[in-house]
Amino acid sequence: MQENHLAKWLNNELTDAELLAFKESEAYASYERIIRATDSLEQIDFDVEEALSAFKNRQTLASKKVIQLHPFKKFMRVAAVIAVLLTGSYFYINNLDVSLKTAFAESKELLLPDNSEVLLNADSELSYSKKDWDDHRNVRLNGEAFFKVAKGERFTVTTATGTVAVLGTQFNVENRNNFFEVTCYEGLVSVTYNEKETKLPAGSSFVVIDNKLIASEESISNTPSWINSESSFKSVPLKYVLDEFERQHDIIVETKNVDLDQLFTGTFSNRNSNLALQSISTPSRIKFKFEGKKVLFYAENTQ
Amino acid sequence: MAKTNTLLEIKDNDNVCKEEVFSNIFKANSKTIFNYIYYKFGNEEKAHDAVQEAFVRLWENCAKVKPEKAKSFVYTVANNLYLNVIKAEKVRLKYADKNLKTTNESPEFIMEENEFRDKLNSALENLPENQRVTFLLNRVDGKKYKEIAAIEGVSVKAIEKRMHLALKNLREKIDGI
Repeated sequence: MQENHLAKWLNNELTDAELLAFKESEAYASYERIIRATDSLEQIDFDVEEALSAFKNRQTLASKKVIQLHPFKKFMRVAAVIAVLLTGSYFYINNLDVSLKTAFAESKELLLPDNSEVLLNADSELSYSKKDWDDHRNVRLNGEAFFKVAKGERFTVTTATGTVAVLGTQFNVENRNNFFEVTCYEGLVSVTYNEKETKLPAGSSFVVIDNKLIASEESISNTPSWINSESSFKSVPLKYVLDEFERQHDIIVETKNVDLDQLFTGTFSNRNSNLALQSISTPSRIKFKFEGKKVLFYAENTQ
Repeated sequence: MAKTNTLLEIKDNDNVCKEEVFSNIFKANSKTIFNYIYYKFGNEEKAHDAVQEAFVRLWENCAKVKPEKAKSFVYTVANNLYLNVIKAEKVRLKYADKNLKTTNESPEFIMEENEFRDKLNSALENLPENQRVTFLLNRVDGKKYKEIAAIEGVSVKAIEKRMHLALKNLREKIDGI
């Protein structure tokens, strides 16, 4: 019998003689039965189409994954930027100073966090830090304001010219171009000017005009005149008086042949422009006339 | 003109990356790969995975593999896939049985047949792996010795040897010699 005759038998490659001999062997019946039984076996189900579509789904999913990654990354980038901006602006706004501004012919009243009152005169600006208020009662002023400070820690008003510090009192601070005036109406005010500290008792003023310290003078009233819609001056150069008139009445002032350095003592109304003009012109012996929205002051002997 | 057209056609068909060409290769070979791995490990899940994995690799390399080499490529991938897998689990084979529907036999005969089938099954499961794969691919899938030799990457003579030994072993186990 040739080599691997069982394999040859299954493949019908045995010679007739070999096949006859094999069929007569006692093992033949067993082999024949095994082959009969195995030939009745069937492959278990395998759906080619299903496998192919599973393969295709898998491929599209794999390629989709790559695409989906990008918009997510983009979203994260945008979200990160927004988060940074939000936190940034939160801190910025939180640290931003509270500020109040008045225009010409306007005054405003403000209540500070410690219930101190501030009256802001025309064309003035006041700001303070809400965050630091509990540590330092500190306001910055540009213009004129009247303060009624509640009792407590040191209260500071910082201006470009000088610093005013108090514990609890009523005082007025005016800081304009080359004009700085502090008037104390109650308690004690400390004024620091050119690194020199001056104690200002109630009823006195501290005036600096054109970088020159003018001797403190007694003040009569117990509130600044502008609170009562009047502007009062005592030996103040005329140009500052006219500046104040511009601020209070929102009227542009022009002058011709007028000595702006002559001193003016007096009061003008902040409500009635005509009355105010007369209050300024008569004692100074000058004349005025309206030119549209402007007013022109000129010397009596010119024309 | 006609000559260039034929050349173009050949070149066109010559690309596994073409979905149609790829699908045809899939349809022609996936079932055999499935059965091949199934006979080897007796594990359906592994067989399904082998099919998917083999064709994923083919798709990834579709530009490099020529259509006539695609068949041996997928068999090699499927074969290598479980090369290093330790055969911890026992092989469990199941078959769809076409004899189950014929009921015009005596109960004794059916019982005897079932008993024999159980013995055969257990004998198959205990065959050496390469003998079982060769025997079942030939008997159940009707693959020629030459085709099995190509799948396994061995000579036809080696397949004949495995076939011979498989049948011999089965009889010894069933007859209890």
